[in-house]
Amino acid sequence: MDLFEILSPLSVLLCFIGVFIGIIFGAIPGMTATMAIALFLPITYSLDMVDAIALLIGLYVGGISGGLVPAVLLNIPGTPSSLCTTFDGYPMTQKGDGEKALKIGITASIIGGFFSLTVLYFFAPVLASVAIKFSSVEKFLIIVFALTVIASISKGSLLGGIFSGFIGVYLSLIGMFADNNQLRLIPPGFEEELAYGFSLLPVLIGLFAIAQILQESEEGMKASPHQTFDFKKEKKNPFTFKIFNGQIINTVRSSMIGTFIGMLPGVGGSAASISSYSQAKNFSKHPEKLGTGEPEGLIASESANNGLIGGALIPLLSLGIPGDSTTAVLVGALLLQGIQVGPLFIPTNPDLWDGIIYALIIANIVMFFLMFFSIKYMAKIIYIPKYIIYPVIIVMCVVGSYAINNGVMFDVWTLLLFGLAGYVFTKIGIQVAPFLIGFILGKDLEKYFIDSLKGSGGDLTIFFTKGPIALLLWVLIAISIIYAIMDNRRSKKAGDQTITPST
Amino acid sequence: MKDLLTIELKFSEYHTIFPKIMLTILMFLAVLMLLLNIAKRIKEGTLTAFRYQFFIDNYDRLKFYGTIVLLIAYALVLERIGFLPASILFMFLITLLFIGNVRKQSIVVSLANSLATSFVIWYLFGQLFDITLP
Repeated sequence: MDLFEILSPLSVLLCFIGVFIGIIFGAIPGMTATMAIALFLPITYSLDMVDAIALLIGLYVGGISGGLVPAVLLNIPGTPSSLCTTFDGYPMTQKGDGEKALKIGITASIIGGFFSLTVLYFFAPVLASVAIKFSSVEKFLIIVFALTVIASISKGSLLGGIFSGFIGVYLSLIGMFADNNQLRLIPPGFEEELAYGFSLLPVLIGLFAIAQILQESEEGMKASPHQTFDFKKEKKNPFTFKIFNGQIINTVRSSMIGTFIGMLPGVGGSAASISSYSQAKNFSKHPEKLGTGEPEGLIASESANNGLIGGALIPLLSLGIPGDSTTAVLVGALLLQGIQVGPLFIPTNPDLWDGIIYALIIANIVMFFLMFFSIKYMAKIIYIPKYIIYPVIIVMCVVGSYAINNGVMFDVWTLLLFGLAGYVFTKIGIQVAPFLIGFILGKDLEKYFIDSLKGSGGDLTIFFTKGPIALLLWVLIAISIIYAIMDNRRSKKAGDQTITPST
Repeated sequence: MKDLLTIELKFSEYHTIFPKIMLTILMFLAVLMLLLNIAKRIKEGTLTAFRYQFFIDNYDRLKFYGTIVLLIAYALVLERIGFLPASILFMFLITLLFIGNVRKQSIVVSLANSLATSFVIWYLFGQLFDITLP
């Protein structure tokens, strides 16, 4: 398939813009790739499908990559997945090797990106061709499996996270049920506005952007300590690609770990970074040096977190499972374009599938050159004061919500409502990410549940007796839940006080 | 046993089955969390000690309530006076609120921020991309 048949110059340009803006979002601590994608959803609405996806992929790649800037320079991970980048990146900055560290990170990022892209390209269609034969029972179980993500991303209280997820499911049911066109769960007086439930986009950006702004305003919009940092000049020890000699195995291993972890729904970015870092340490010839400013650790963390991207897209594009909040937002984006993600996605949208692959290739290349040659100037992004950036974000959120269904004022109110809700949620212990995943998957969960029961005449045992695939899915569900419980215990024991990501 | 595991399906009630199940699960989880919490409190001997604080210490009342009021006001006037005037006004006020003083410099910064952003968004979204603005 010819590259330019699929991607127009406009989509390449949009991909470029996406990467650029994504890097900015990734670089500002507290803003994430998720937020960037959510904010730009409304623009994609008026774009052609491939153009839209090029922009979003650009934002995704840029957003994940940009996180390394504050991680290396300030010891603050700009995105959760650059957590371990701080371990060796920041010590290098302290030694006066900040620029070198950034360039190592950028190079590792592009390698990880391409590795995972290759895996995605070959693996997703295979998985999809298996999933295509699924009946509503298996589809229901797949969604249940996806929902077990909630257990593993719950922070602190596991039960609280599950509870939050079910609240999300419950709220997603508001509106009309398509089978018999009956309304349910609508508060009196809102029958017209809520006939189709709350729109996904305003809920999403309300929960992510408005809630965050409310939280910061409660704290008084103080300038973060990092904004007083000085980017020191340095001349000694310039970056060369020779650093990667002898790091090939490390790079490939970390990319592989990143890709694999990306595939597991809900394990999340920081886990990729942490496990590849600890593997790098296990296999290192001089493990004691890691953490004191060794390129080795930096390479491990950064190639893993870009490996995530391709990995996370595998279950999304082949099964329709969003593995984390970022891919959950991508589902929203595709739904807006009228595309259902699932096993049928690749066979029915071959152009879009190629477009995604090309967009990923271009986004990775753009990311590399953009960051490699302008990193010094990009690094200044972290100084933009909040009082400038937040008002801009609010107006963009409002415009986006209003425009999403072509000018519905109720969507703006939804935005504000869920912004406030997101703020209150964090105060009373309801977790936003599980809530959102429940909200996104809720309607499908119900649909396949009812469809399965219609097939069995209401017999619930159908979920167990359907066949070997259903049983396999039950095993996967069980493993996922057990893993989450154990992980939760472990992190509780360790008194995990490390940086909790804001997604 | 067979009866227990069978749900009665009626076409006219399809829409209420799933919400009922979800509500049951939610209530079950809520009770479970409550019981676990009470058990933990008994274990630690803090059964009657309730300390819950919604806001952080010394939270910024002006900025917090100011933001909420401005947001609601913005949404209220948006369709009445149109996107550009509403946004310019809103951005100016909220930037000023976030800066937190009314010195000459802050006013200039707020004004610049509000005018620039409003026009760029209006042009980019409204004109270039043809997106419906209020």
